[in-house]
Amino acid sequence: MRTESNHPTTLVPPLHGEGRGPHAVDPLDEVRDLVRACMQCGTCTASCPNAASMDLTPRQMWRSLLFGFTDEVLRSKTFWMCSACYTCTLRCPRGLQLTRAMAALKRLAAQHGPGAARRKGIFYQAFIDNVHKYGRVQEMDLMFHYFMAMRDPLLPLRFTPVGMKLLAKGKLHAPDGRHKGVLDDLFTRVRELEGNP
Amino acid sequence: MKTTYAALVVGAGVAGIRAALDLAETGQKVALVDRKPHLGGLLTQLDYQFPTNACGMCKMLPLTERDSSSQFCMRKGLFHKNIDMFLSTELTGLDGDPGQFTAFLRQGSSFVDPTKCIGCGACSAVCPVRVPSEFNAGLTERAAVHLPVPHNIPNSYVVDLDHCIRCWRCHETCPTEAIDFQFNRRATFHTLLASAEPGLAESAAEWIKDLLFPFAAETAPEAALEQIAQDEHLAMLLLDLDLPGLEPERFLARALELKPELVVVLLAGPQHAELAGKLKAAGARLVLDKPLKPKAAVPVLDKTFLRAASEKRLELSVAAVVLATGFDTYTPCPESFGADTLGYKVLPGVVTSVEFERMLSGSGPGRDRLTRPGDGKPVRRVAWLQCVGSRDLGKGVGYCSSICCMISIKEALLARQMLKDENGEPAAATIFSMDMRTFGRDYQRYRDSAEEEAGVRFVKSRIHTAMPSPDDPGALRLRYMDESGELKEEDTDLLVLAVGARPPKDLPALARAAQVELNEHGFLRTRHFDPSRTTRLGVFAAGSAGAPRDIAESLIAAGAAAMEASRLINIYAPLKEKVAEPEPEYRDVGREAPKVLVALCTSCPVLESAVDMEALIARLQSQPAVIAVARIDAGCTAPGWEKIAELAREKRPNRILLGACMPYAYVPKLRELGAALGLNPAFMDVADVYTPAMTAAREENPDRTALGREVFATLNMALARLVRADTLRQRSAAPVYRQALVVGGGLAGMTAAVGIADHGYPVTIVESEEALGGAAMRLRTTLEGRDPQRYMADLVEQVEKHPNITVRTDSRVVLSMGKAGAFSTVVYGRDGVATLEHGTTILATGGREAKVYDYGFRVHPATLTQVELEQRLASGELDAGALGSVAMIQCWRSREEGRNYCSRICCAGALKNLHTLLRKNPGIKVFVFYRDIMSYGFMEQFYTEARRLGAIFIRYDLENRPQVAFDNGKPRITARDPVLGEDIQISPDILVLSTGVEPNDVEELAEQFGVPLTEDGFYREAEPKWRPVDFLKYGVFMAGLARAPGNMGEHVASAKAAAERALRILSGERLDAGNVVAEVRHSLCSLCGRCIDVCPYGARRMDLDEDRIEVDAILCQGCGSCTAVCPNSAAVLKGFDDAQVMGSIDAALEELA
Repeated sequence: MRTESNHPTTLVPPLHGEGRGPHAVDPLDEVRDLVRACMQCGTCTASCPNAASMDLTPRQMWRSLLFGFTDEVLRSKTFWMCSACYTCTLRCPRGLQLTRAMAALKRLAAQHGPGAARRKGIFYQAFIDNVHKYGRVQEMDLMFHYFMAMRDPLLPLRFTPVGMKLLAKGKLHAPDGRHKGVLDDLFTRVRELEGNP
Repeated sequence: MKTTYAALVVGAGVAGIRAALDLAETGQKVALVDRKPHLGGLLTQLDYQFPTNACGMCKMLPLTERDSSSQFCMRKGLFHKNIDMFLSTELTGLDGDPGQFTAFLRQGSSFVDPTKCIGCGACSAVCPVRVPSEFNAGLTERAAVHLPVPHNIPNSYVVDLDHCIRCWRCHETCPTEAIDFQFNRRATFHTLLASAEPGLAESAAEWIKDLLFPFAAETAPEAALEQIAQDEHLAMLLLDLDLPGLEPERFLARALELKPELVVVLLAGPQHAELAGKLKAAGARLVLDKPLKPKAAVPVLDKTFLRAASEKRLELSVAAVVLATGFDTYTPCPESFGADTLGYKVLPGVVTSVEFERMLSGSGPGRDRLTRPGDGKPVRRVAWLQCVGSRDLGKGVGYCSSICCMISIKEALLARQMLKDENGEPAAATIFSMDMRTFGRDYQRYRDSAEEEAGVRFVKSRIHTAMPSPDDPGALRLRYMDESGELKEEDTDLLVLAVGARPPKDLPALARAAQVELNEHGFLRTRHFDPSRTTRLGVFAAGSAGAPRDIAESLIAAGAAAMEASRLINIYAPLKEKVAEPEPEYRDVGREAPKVLVALCTSCPVLESAVDMEALIARLQSQPAVIAVARIDAGCTAPGWEKIAELAREKRPNRILLGACMPYAYVPKLRELGAALGLNPAFMDVADVYTPAMTAAREENPDRTALGREVFATLNMALARLVRADTLRQRSAAPVYRQALVVGGGLAGMTAAVGIADHGYPVTIVESEEALGGAAMRLRTTLEGRDPQRYMADLVEQVEKHPNITVRTDSRVVLSMGKAGAFSTVVYGRDGVATLEHGTTILATGGREAKVYDYGFRVHPATLTQVELEQRLASGELDAGALGSVAMIQCWRSREEGRNYCSRICCAGALKNLHTLLRKNPGIKVFVFYRDIMSYGFMEQFYTEARRLGAIFIRYDLENRPQVAFDNGKPRITARDPVLGEDIQISPDILVLSTGVEPNDVEELAEQFGVPLTEDGFYREAEPKWRPVDFLKYGVFMAGLARAPGNMGEHVASAKAAAERALRILSGERLDAGNVVAEVRHSLCSLCGRCIDVCPYGARRMDLDEDRIEVDAILCQGCGSCTAVCPNSAAVLKGFDDAQVMGSIDAALEELA
């Protein structure tokens, strides 16, 4: 559909078309505000170490966002691939907080995105729960909870090669409870800062 | 001592020079100062300028009264009898009111006496210091004592005290004792230490003993003050801020009151940092950190002494001040590698555009530097990256530097020309940019021809990474993303960073001294409709002082500032009341036989060692016209010169020939000598005998006989020309009608008219419409939110009430004849026919918003032009609140063949309107289809803001232009979004077309005044860079939209610049021609007209009534093209007539022995 030039995408008014139903309040407006001054120079994309694994380049994603293609943005896996290296933020000639926008997209996609996007959020949730609980990552427990949450019996098979490596390094063991709870204060503070204690 | 000048010009770059020359040519005395030790500013480093790809700076030189100014390459130097130059000089304060300022200047010393320096370079050779050369942008090194600009004439070395290690070797080596380190003043440089710190006095006395300063110490503030009051030689005070009982501010104030010149050095611990800063602002000179370390402190104290002992304080009384402070170029910070991944100063192939210009330059480090800096292989690929340090909010620069796009295109063209392989194949040149800002009138065509004819590649992308190429270690690998989003890699040999303009580092200090404000970008704050006005009345901004500008616009801004200054001078120190300087009286030598005094300068030993001087002198003496031959030691210095004058008084020759070096340098001196002896300088000449001698000195076994012949031939040729000099001719002068005609009563015409009329000369405005005002009357607001209506109403009122301005509306010019100083023009209008006699003409015929003819767009009420939208929004006819979406298409039918120029104002117009729309109704969706957003200069911030407000900008190119259709009167636009690579469709409520501007039809008028038009119908200037408001036909000038598209401020500037040029003609009773001008021998002339075609100054015309060729002596610049082309020897050039030229050739063939 993107390449079919004889079926132009109508932008206004109103926003319509397949999967682009008008939203009463667009959940992505807060991200949009972060990138409004973008002038599509492409520095972010060219700088991004993970751009090759993204379906939309960062530049295309900002563009789609500004055009109002909310669903398309939420469906994309671009922001999930962001490893928060901050290179784009550092280099953006407009001084935009792009890494922050990426993080916000992850958060919003987990709330408002389609099922697939929410499933991507599961790993993040499992990871952060694991860190919260044990004070540091306990690989065995993390993967256990992740697999449980994903409810996909074939999923563990895909992770077998990584599991073998971890096993060889002695990383797969019962959770180490020595640091349990040390991050509780930190997490409480973060929840306070985010305004939902 | 106070010297009086009409104006002070700060900054001697091209804009400062232009402003100074403009004022000097109208007879005003000007002081021109620069903080650097040389003239020319940034352009000393840049050899080639767009769009001519040559220099041409000399075109700024005066065209009339040429003999009052230098007439040689301006990059080498300049003098004008009305301009006094102060180099290495800074403005430190400006007191008083407009018209009666007192300017305080501090002139630093170069420590080399220019009247003694012979430029032999011995000092530089012994100097042990090596630092990067500023002139070559750090590509080469120089010593601490160096020539700031190697090709200057006259040129003398300067000591860079900051880098000097005080070994004094240069002083010991100098053969003429020109280097002065003030050794004999040390004994009277009394130094006082005010400190109670135990032991400090003893140790300080020890160090200062080495410096030979008499030293004393006090331990209480009162005692120290007493000492300051009593010791008349006390010059330096070392003030310890820990001194008990010290009230630092009061103490300092009292000390400086007692001795204003006292050098106060603060000894401050870290806890006093803030106080020290305050005291420094209050007049303390230097801060030394406590505890004192002698190794660091002693050299600093010594240099402070050297500066204090050699600098001069000047006080000038001036009526107006022009600031032409220019800009610095951005240096990508090498420490920021990591943040800035372009690898400047890390990877050898990454250079700035200034460095690249030095690499290309003949006076640079050598063309061989155009190999790859990494491995010395030839450069076959060059890439340019735009917007380095501009349009980069990450680096705190919210503006566009306006000039870099054109500079890069020029550099790419030069690279294609100069970098060719053995098969003549030029190097590949690629420019990476986000927008190519070719917003000047003819710049779009320049860009197109670079792409289509010269094969420069343009890529829309911002390169983000440069790294060593993995395949080719000497090359650079560039990674960028093209517009489709594909990540690309390519190798290049050189990456040129198109570095932007920054406000000069010391501008804040200068602004404090001159009490003017800076804007948020760090340039001078100027008025919106009047960019030459600063925040202080009487202080004007020229060149790039207010915003980065290219040369042409800098010169226009300089002309405008000169006009403003001149207006003020005219009120407070009118020229008319000044006593005219008496013309030097020259004795009549017409009836005397030639008697020549020959003086040979022997200051450099090369001549004497290379040539048999005795034989040479004997041979010269044997020439019949020569009455004496003298050897002068150091003719270029004051004592040598005095000796020549003495000889001349004694021998009373009627011709003087000097054998020396650098003939240009002597021109002003010859005039002085002429005045002193009563001998016309036309009968004096300088022959360059040193160039052959110097060349020979570099050879291993110079042929002394051949060299002797060459030196003799050089002298003998000059002698032959002098002997045959025409002694009877009078210089011609034409009377001037001191009135002006302005055609066009719009913004530019009225501004120019008021400018001239304020100087007391009558002006007539001829306007074809029924009312004054022109196109600017249609504007309702500006991008910055100002009120153009009010400005125009004020201006119209000013014109109508002005006692010196006559307005003829509903009138047009039907016929014009004449030349500079004496035009006769017939005007027909409502009041009948009138004939006007005027000395100068300004054409400001304006233009209009271009019309839309396509697709019957005019029948659809939803289609508007930008001006129509502006008017409807202002009148309330269009309600922004009722609009859901608006689309704008930029460059509608412009920047492509047919109207291939950028109208310059439409991007601003679009930004202005979309700001209005979005401010009134933030919910509107605004789509702007654009090719390159031309938000040059500070306008860039409105572009950034527009994006922030939510406007969506969609780029298109000529292959994929937006398609417009209408559904029941509602526009439907289909276009391709290059970022998504997808077609999009918009059905906005209204469609706004940026149709651009076009000039009014003036073909007939241009014919009447004999001036040319460009292919787009704008007036064609004499030279696009250096004479931006002049026509080739002298006496006729252009202003406003008819010259080039621009905004109101820019038109006001061009109008004032044109007025200033016109004032040059009106300022005198007559116009004087130069000494060397062409004439016609009518009896030999066959009226073939070839001389008319070749004359580059339009000085010749066919007089059909008299059937003969006429030469306008004012216009003729003495180039000699006509004499070369004339088949009948009917065209002769006075000063180079046949007898002189033939005589010179004969003389060249004479044997020495």
